[in-house]
Amino acid sequence: MEKILNKKHIDDWIAALDSWDILGPVLEDGIWAYQPVSGAVRLDHPNTRQSPKGLAFPQREIFFKFEQIKGEAPRLTQVVPDEQRHAVFGVRPCDGRGVPRMDLVFTDHVEDNYYQARRKNVAYVGLACNKPPGPNCFCLSVGGSPVSTDGLDVQMTDLGDRYFVKAVTETGKGLMTAAGKLFAEPSAADQKQVEQVHADAVAHPQRAVRNVEAVPAKLKASFKSPLWQELARACIGCGICTFLCPTCHCFDINDEVQSKAPLKGIRVRTWDNCQFPDFTMHSSGHNPRENTGARLRQRVAHKFQYFPENFGMPQCTGCGRCVSECPVGIDIVAVVNKVVENAG
Amino acid sequence: MINVQDIRDTARDLLAKGEVRAVIGYRRGSRGMLAEPAFITSPEQADELVWDPTCFHNLSLYLVHDRKFLDHIRKNPGAPVAIIAKGCDARSIVVLLQEHYFKREDVYIIGVSCEGTGVLDERKLAPHLNGAQASNAAFDGDDFVFTTAEGEKRLQAREVMADRCLECRIPFPKEHNAVFGEDKAGRQMEAPFAALTRFEEQGSGERWDFWSHHFDRCIRCFACRSVCPMCYCDECVVDSITFPVTTETTAEDKANRVRWIERSAVRSENITYLMTRAMHLAGRCTDCGECERACPVNVPIRLLNNKMEREAREQFGFEPGASIGGPSLVASFLDSDPGDFIR
Repeated sequence: MEKILNKKHIDDWIAALDSWDILGPVLEDGIWAYQPVSGAVRLDHPNTRQSPKGLAFPQREIFFKFEQIKGEAPRLTQVVPDEQRHAVFGVRPCDGRGVPRMDLVFTDHVEDNYYQARRKNVAYVGLACNKPPGPNCFCLSVGGSPVSTDGLDVQMTDLGDRYFVKAVTETGKGLMTAAGKLFAEPSAADQKQVEQVHADAVAHPQRAVRNVEAVPAKLKASFKSPLWQELARACIGCGICTFLCPTCHCFDINDEVQSKAPLKGIRVRTWDNCQFPDFTMHSSGHNPRENTGARLRQRVAHKFQYFPENFGMPQCTGCGRCVSECPVGIDIVAVVNKVVENAG
Repeated sequence: MINVQDIRDTARDLLAKGEVRAVIGYRRGSRGMLAEPAFITSPEQADELVWDPTCFHNLSLYLVHDRKFLDHIRKNPGAPVAIIAKGCDARSIVVLLQEHYFKREDVYIIGVSCEGTGVLDERKLAPHLNGAQASNAAFDGDDFVFTTAEGEKRLQAREVMADRCLECRIPFPKEHNAVFGEDKAGRQMEAPFAALTRFEEQGSGERWDFWSHHFDRCIRCFACRSVCPMCYCDECVVDSITFPVTTETTAEDKANRVRWIERSAVRSENITYLMTRAMHLAGRCTDCGECERACPVNVPIRLLNNKMEREAREQFGFEPGASIGGPSLVASFLDSDPGDFIR
C-alpha cells in the first residue's frame, strides 16, 4: 500500500489512531527523545539521542513481586507488561533495522515472554533519511540504507509539502486504513519524485566500515592483537555506547528487596553493559576481561564477528550514536577499519 | 597566545631525553574537528599533539588510570608521565597529590593557560553552524574560528564557551613544571557560581520539580563517574562488586548483602547515586565540567557539584586544588570553622 499524505494531515492521522498510544520525537533538555505526543507530531529531528529499543526492551523490567509473611509460604506475583499498543513515529532506518536484530536475540534460542509481550504491541513508523541526519552515520557500509524498510511497519518519505507513505507490514496497513480518507493515491509524478529522493539519499556520501563481509575473519584473526589496548587507551568504561545502541541487549537480573520484615521485593531485569569493569568480574576477584582493550574488543567483535557468525549479518546498523556520544572519541568505524587493516 | 609548536617541542624534548615515559595530551581524532586524548611515547609522535578549543577533556583521569595499572602489575612508575593540563585540570592534579594518590615527582605538568577564553561547549556551537560540520577549530584572541565546508566561521568565544569556563576564576595552571600562555586571572565573564545563583533564585518547590525531572532522566551509564578524575575509588558504592566473597560466604549472605543503591534507574536510586557522588566531591571538585559534558542525556550535574564547592568556599574559605601542601577540606579543622550548626 502506497499513499500520499499532505503534511497538514499528519496530526489528523495521529488523532485517528485513538486506540494507540503515540510516541514521536520531542526536543527537550537539548536532546531528541521519543515521548508520548498528543496532537502535533514533529518529524524534523535528526536522530533521537536514545534508540527506540526501550519500547520492547525497557531499561527496567519488573518480572515479579515476591513476599513472605513469617510462617507462610512465599508468594510470587508475576508482573505482566500491559497490553496497550504503541505506535512510534519518526523511526530512522538504522533503528528500524535494529528491531529484527533484537527480535532474533529474544526469540531465536529463548522465547523471552516479556520482550515478546511488549514487542507485539509496538508499531514502528519510519522516516527515510533524505540525507544523513548525523556526521557519523554509516548505515550503507553495514548492509543498511537511508531508505531501508527493514523492521518498520510503515515507511514515510518527506517530499516537501507531503509524505509518501508506504505500508511495509499488515500492522502498518492497519495504521493507514484507520485514517483512509486522509490519504491520497500517489500520482506518477509522486512515484517519480520518491524514487529520485531515495536515489539521492543513497548517493549521499557517508562514513564507512570498509568491506564489511571480510571483517569477521579479520577480527577473529586479531583476537590477541595488542592494538585493542592501544585503541581503548582513552576508554573510561562508561555505558554510553551500549545504552544508546539500538541493538545492545545485555542485561542483569537482581532481586531488589523493598522491605525486610515482612520480606517484600521485586525481581528486576535492567540493562547491563560490557564496558563496565564489573560486567565480567568473578566473585573470586578474577576478571577475564581485565582491561579496556578486552572490553572494547568484546563490543566490536559482538557487532562485527560473533553476531554475523551466529545470525549471518552484522549487528551494528550504523546509527553512529556510540561514535558521536563517546566522551573520549572512541569511534567504532575507525576501530574496525584499523583492526582490519592491521590484520593484513 | 599559545603556539602549539612550543608544546610539541617540549614533549619531544622530554621524551627524547628520557625524562618522561609518556606524554598525555590531545590529538586530532577521527570525528571532524574534535580532539581526543593522546598517549605519546616516542619523540616522533610529538607532532600529533594539538591545542585548540575542543581540548575539553580533563586528562588527569589518565594519571589515575596509569596509577591503577601500575598497581595492578605491581610495578614502580620509573620516569614520570607528562600531562597537558589547563587551569582546572592542574587543580585536579593538585587534589590528587594532596590525597597522596601519586607523588609529585611521578608527574610532569605541562600547563596551558586558557588565557582570554576557555574551551568549547559543542552543544552551544551546533545552532551557529546551521547543520554544517566543522573540520577544524582554533583559538584566535577572544574568538574561536571554525572551518566548515562553507568556509570560515568566526564566533566570539564567550558565545560558545562551556559554562564553567565563563565562570572560571583561575584559568592559569599555577602548579606546573612548564607552562604556556599568559596568566589572565580575573578574566571571568560571569560571576563565580553564576548559574547556581540563578538556579537558587527559584523556590524550593520549583527546585524539587527541576531535580525530580532530571533524576528521572538519568540512565545510570555512570559516564559522570567514569570521566571524573576524583572518582578513583576501587569500589564504588553503586557497583555490585562491593561485596567480598570468601569460601565462607553462603548463598544467603549473598542474597542479603547490603546494597546501598539498586540497579534500577529510578528516581530514588538515581538521587542516591548522584547525591552521594556530589557529597564525595565536596572540597575536591575543581569544576572541570567533564561530568556534565559527558552526560548523554544532559543532566545538569555541575549544579550539584557547584553547590558543594560554594559551601566549601563560603563556610570554610576552601578552594579545591589551591595548594599541594594545604590540608584537604574534610581532613582539617580550624578554630575559625563555623560551628553554629552544632547544638
